[in-house]
Amino acid sequence: MKNIGVILLCLALSVSCGRYLDQSPHDGIPSGEITHEHAELLVTGLYNIVQYKPTFNGWALFDLIGGDIVRTGATSTNTPELMVESAIAPDMSIVTSPWNGYFAGLYQINTVLDYVKRLPDSAQKNSMKGTCHFFRGLYYYNMAARWRSLPIIKTPSGGEEQKQQSEENVWEFVAEEFDNAMRLSPEFTDRNYVSAEAAKGLLARTYLAMGKKSEAVALAEELISDSRFGLSDFQDIFRGNPNNEEIFSFANLLQEGKVNMSSYYYTKDSGVGGSYNFCPTQEAIEMYSEKDKRRDVSIAYQGNNPVLNKYCGGDAGRDPIYVVRLAEMYLISAECQGLEKGSDRLNELRRFRGLDDINPSDEEEFLDAVLDERRLELFGEGFRWYDLVRCGKYTSVVDVDEKYTVLPIPARELTLNDNLHQHLLWQARMP
Amino acid sequence: MRKITLCLWLISGLFASFTSDAQDNSILLPQEKIRLSEAFDLIEGQSGYTVAYNEELLNINRKVLPPPTESGLEDTFRALLKDTDMKALIYGKIILIIPLDSHVGEDGLPDSDLSRAHNIIDEAIVVGYGSMSKKDISSAIGTYNPMELECTLLTGAEALLQGRLAGVNVQASSGSLSSRNRVSIRGIGSLTAGNEPLYVVDGIPISNTTSEAGGWEGEQLNSLTDINPDDIESIQVLKDAASAAIYGSRATNGVIIITTKQGVKGAPKVNADASMSLSHIPNLHKLKVSDADLYLEVQNEAIDNYNRQTGKSVAHITNPYPERGQFSWVDLVLRTALSWKVNTSIAGGSDRSKYYISANARHNQGVIIGSKAEKYGIRANVGTDIKKWLSTGINISANYSHTHLVPNGNMGTSILTHALEHRPWDIPYKEDGTYTIKDVDLLHYNLLQALNEQKAFNKNYRMIGNAFVQIKFTKDLSLKSSVGGDFMYAEDYIYYGSKHMYGNSVGKLTDVRKAYTSLVTDNLLNYKTKFRNGLAIDMMLGHSFQQDISSTASQTGQGFPSDEFDVNSVAAEYIDMSTARSSWSMQSFMLRTSINYLDKYLMTLSARTDGSSKFAPKNRYGFFPSISAGWNISEESFWKCHDLDMKIRASAGMTGNQGGIGAYAWQALAAGGYNYITDSGIGLMVQGNKNLKWEKATQYNAGFDMSAFGGRLTATVDIYRKDTKGLLYNKPISATSGFTNQICNIGAMRNEGLELTVGSDIVRGEFRWQGSFNISFVKNRLTELIDDDGILTSGSYHALKVGEEVGSFYMIKMLGIYQSDEDVPAPQYKQGVRAGDVIYEDVNGDGDIDTVNDSQFVGSANPLFTGGLSSTFTWKGIDMSFLLSFSYGNRLYQTWTGGLRLGNGLWPAQESEALARWKGPGTSNSVPRAIYGMTWNSTKFINTRYLHDASYLRCSTLSIGYTLPDLAVRKIGIGSMRIYIQADNLFLISPYRFIDPEVNSSLDATKMGLDNMWLPKSRTWSMGIKIKL
Repeated sequence: MKNIGVILLCLALSVSCGRYLDQSPHDGIPSGEITHEHAELLVTGLYNIVQYKPTFNGWALFDLIGGDIVRTGATSTNTPELMVESAIAPDMSIVTSPWNGYFAGLYQINTVLDYVKRLPDSAQKNSMKGTCHFFRGLYYYNMAARWRSLPIIKTPSGGEEQKQQSEENVWEFVAEEFDNAMRLSPEFTDRNYVSAEAAKGLLARTYLAMGKKSEAVALAEELISDSRFGLSDFQDIFRGNPNNEEIFSFANLLQEGKVNMSSYYYTKDSGVGGSYNFCPTQEAIEMYSEKDKRRDVSIAYQGNNPVLNKYCGGDAGRDPIYVVRLAEMYLISAECQGLEKGSDRLNELRRFRGLDDINPSDEEEFLDAVLDERRLELFGEGFRWYDLVRCGKYTSVVDVDEKYTVLPIPARELTLNDNLHQHLLWQARMP
Repeated sequence: MRKITLCLWLISGLFASFTSDAQDNSILLPQEKIRLSEAFDLIEGQSGYTVAYNEELLNINRKVLPPPTESGLEDTFRALLKDTDMKALIYGKIILIIPLDSHVGEDGLPDSDLSRAHNIIDEAIVVGYGSMSKKDISSAIGTYNPMELECTLLTGAEALLQGRLAGVNVQASSGSLSSRNRVSIRGIGSLTAGNEPLYVVDGIPISNTTSEAGGWEGEQLNSLTDINPDDIESIQVLKDAASAAIYGSRATNGVIIITTKQGVKGAPKVNADASMSLSHIPNLHKLKVSDADLYLEVQNEAIDNYNRQTGKSVAHITNPYPERGQFSWVDLVLRTALSWKVNTSIAGGSDRSKYYISANARHNQGVIIGSKAEKYGIRANVGTDIKKWLSTGINISANYSHTHLVPNGNMGTSILTHALEHRPWDIPYKEDGTYTIKDVDLLHYNLLQALNEQKAFNKNYRMIGNAFVQIKFTKDLSLKSSVGGDFMYAEDYIYYGSKHMYGNSVGKLTDVRKAYTSLVTDNLLNYKTKFRNGLAIDMMLGHSFQQDISSTASQTGQGFPSDEFDVNSVAAEYIDMSTARSSWSMQSFMLRTSINYLDKYLMTLSARTDGSSKFAPKNRYGFFPSISAGWNISEESFWKCHDLDMKIRASAGMTGNQGGIGAYAWQALAAGGYNYITDSGIGLMVQGNKNLKWEKATQYNAGFDMSAFGGRLTATVDIYRKDTKGLLYNKPISATSGFTNQICNIGAMRNEGLELTVGSDIVRGEFRWQGSFNISFVKNRLTELIDDDGILTSGSYHALKVGEEVGSFYMIKMLGIYQSDEDVPAPQYKQGVRAGDVIYEDVNGDGDIDTVNDSQFVGSANPLFTGGLSSTFTWKGIDMSFLLSFSYGNRLYQTWTGGLRLGNGLWPAQESEALARWKGPGTSNSVPRAIYGMTWNSTKFINTRYLHDASYLRCSTLSIGYTLPDLAVRKIGIGSMRIYIQADNLFLISPYRFIDPEVNSSLDATKMGLDNMWLPKSRTWSMGIKIKL
């Protein structure tokens, strides 16, 4: 009898334990439990995710391989050519981490868009949709510039099953996304949030890349004439002060900040720390004239070391990630209108920055002048490499093989995904 | 009393001084008729000897009249056994009751009826949820009893097993203090789902995660050092599925059962020992870097080569401080470390209660300045019989450790690595006395700054214990209920002052706390009976429930008024604040039945079912059965070879694995924390996999145990095959899916192996020689992968492929050095490859080299065989013992390339490499030319230039001791005293180019065999004294 009692006791104990096998996490909810009440939280989450996923390499690459920056330290490379050749390969993190980041962010964007689409119609729904399209456009712009031909992924699942689309299709898609964003997003109120104007600026940038000059001019001019925006002093833009120039920047606050731009450029001597991985070339330092009001905020010396000075947070702080600001619209407008009509916009900007007017003699000289101005104005903001590439000038400025005008698809991806094919320039050819 | 452990037997064999001793023991028994069994108990209590007898030959319920006065042991037994046909024989610390007609051989054991005598001196083997006598075991279990001869410094319990047991391979991750080890039992158990065995201490499955709270970025700390090696009575390793299956879902990688010492009846026995040691890094000359002249020669040759080839004009490097000579950072940061240990224990007991208590303190210095670990521990194991049918007990240990952390592992400031990466003229201080700075004055971090300006420690509080109640319902049926737990509280404190490179110029403090609780309740019903026809049955039915809960809190603040302010409440801002909680639980039912028929035929069946919260409800429960059978063939009447005992065994069973899988792995989660400016946000960061299933292994084992010439020679041979199915792996997937990997059940693998252990106890008597040799061969291969022909890369150095070993290196193969420009294929020439550069094998023949098309399998991180050889010699009071351990056929990739780049980067080359470099046709076919800036020869490809043979033979321990004569020490009131000296890691024979091939910067089975210039093992010289009262 006693034995049976014991066995029963054991059984009782064990049955009572069964429910303890359901354990749930404390920092998340099962994704099946997400309802449309969570939509706003998901969109806020997107800002955080979209800003950090591409990593520093994602935001800074076009500067790093644009010819004006070299590596410092024990593996220092004195020439931009060595810098490019050593950094760009199918398995280097400078290539792979942004690739992984863009697609990881894209998954988030597509998932959130899926939830948002199921909401009842409202202005708020449109605004959330607009944000999703804006981010998707932003990512695809960055990817199209790098890899040209890509799979276009619009749904949360099945991304790996999509075939690569032609370069033209990808650019069409980017334009479409910014167009959607422009129609759906709310009007500009805050530089840290997506607005119709931010989408407009990026659509102008996209049209420039696509060669749709008149469309680009129209949009750029709309923004230039928008009274909410105006050119501002670099001291205000790059030192966190109120200004009229920023149209959209990620806040990238310290507690969100996984991207620390400053740390890569500043030295330990800066007072706020820094790892000093990259520095401007002598040539880049010398491009700023004494008069240029942008000079001291763009470059500086810390001890004997030249540094890029636009990001001043050091190790201890974080800086915004500048996505689009008004000066670029002046430059887009100038470039697309050409010598005759564009010179005014170019000189308008130059005068504001403290420089004298210039009068290029022909279109080619004018294009070079615009590119030089873009180089001065947008140094360190992620433009230079693609500016040179889209104008066909990269290999003449930086003396490297033509294959460096496009990035290789990461080796890992080619192994794992049969739908991806390496760009012809990166395929080994028998002599 | 009935069961005598091998340990006792061996120790007694070594130390005891045979019969002469016994005369000194006086026994006083009550002056009335008592049962023999009671008399034996009293004698054991008074003398410390153990009485062993065979119940079939001796009626212990017989009442006898003890001798009238206090008598010696021999006289007492003579009186007690007067009317029987038995006599007492004292063998070491055991009193054997044997038939009168037995003869005693030279070795002190009865020569007739040996097998029976051996059965008496049986070994109790701890198995899962109980113990069995060795003769009843039909599965593969390895046993190790730490001997008193070994002085153990700061080692984890698992490190004691290195080279000791067949099938158990222990590999250290480095020579840092409290460094972790990878223990693999019978090869690779899994890909990612954890490869560590389950550790069970006195019945409590303990956590073998790290001791730190999570704030430290250097090497992890080994939490198994919390078990004081001096408290360990025995370690049993359950190797095959039949023995391990009783631990079900956590048993695939084997189970290591640690049993601590228990009290023995009798007067308190006090043990005290103290030791002191000095450690240093041996063979430092293998790390020698170029001096200033050679450095400049190589760098400038590299620049010349580059300029000549490209037409550029990069300027030469000159020595800006020729007056400084050669500064050695290695000498600056390394030292000879001093450590000491004291340990005391008291064991004793009465008829009803027994106790073992101990206390120990260990202070260890590391060989890097500032590195230190202090550990204190206490233990109490007590048990009492309340009634005849009711007993209870408690085993508990409490430990405190305080470890001063120095940068190591893969940290940016990792000391040894970066001590090698400074130019010959780089020194730690500027002229004004301030630190020199990385990238401004130095190539790398100033290590003195890193050490001086940080305050980093880990404190760990650990308690492991259980309490049990045992009820005997009848002679055969009992219930044991126990409640136990493993409690850990850890604190990581990492303060980087404002002058530290990580201090952000304002000071930064990361303060992390972690609490971990694991609670286990077991209810075990035992039924053990023996039928008249010779059939014995031992059954166990059990239920177990375990819940693990952990929580962490971490804050990082920066901006301190000065370095004296070092708590976060004064920080100017908080960079990071987070708390986390997680928990998982498991419920299990188990059943085991052992059948023994006439001691000839043995069979054990076991089954366990586990339900784990880590899996989706539909896959929650796993079932793990096993069967094993044995045949004591030498018990058969036809067995004529009386000098040879033989047992044949075979087993089969299933085990599971759930280690290494996140607590909520199956659930797709929308996680919080994705905030923007002031708003909360969520993100879908965890994909989950509802189809996750148990990883299961089926293992077959066959073997035999033999013992010849009265135990003078023993051998155990096992062969096994282990098939693991449903391998859990974080499968790499195309990033276009939104994720770079997903945990899933991807395939199957097979481990096959052979294990051999030979023990010898050949020379007995005054001079005694015992030895043991073991060797294990394991062959692993992946037998199935989701898409069978694919290659899955795991990390940058390894890949998985059907038919290949898990842990295989997959990379580009170096063939030699181009001796002339004409040999260079055009696509490579175009990239700047010239004579003197490395020839890589162009697998796809396109003339170019790339990792996708030209990588190949080039060997494995797993050894072909491992093992050990140990021997002990004793003569009079002198003892000498050594342990050699070896590993053959494993390869090691040096991920640290700092000293081998020859011009790609400014680091000084290793002297040996610089001198051997290619300087013209025919000068070298293994070391390339120096070339500035180009990565082709060094960092462009993961290639076999850095892959080395890591086989080794190590003298792990050599010790020599002297036990003072009894007469001498008794005069000063001491029972016995031994003094000894010991050398650990005395020598190492290896083809590896750096100091020690036993380093692993990754303990993951699929990414093993990487050396990132972690600290090699030290050589340690110790001396100590052991006293018994």
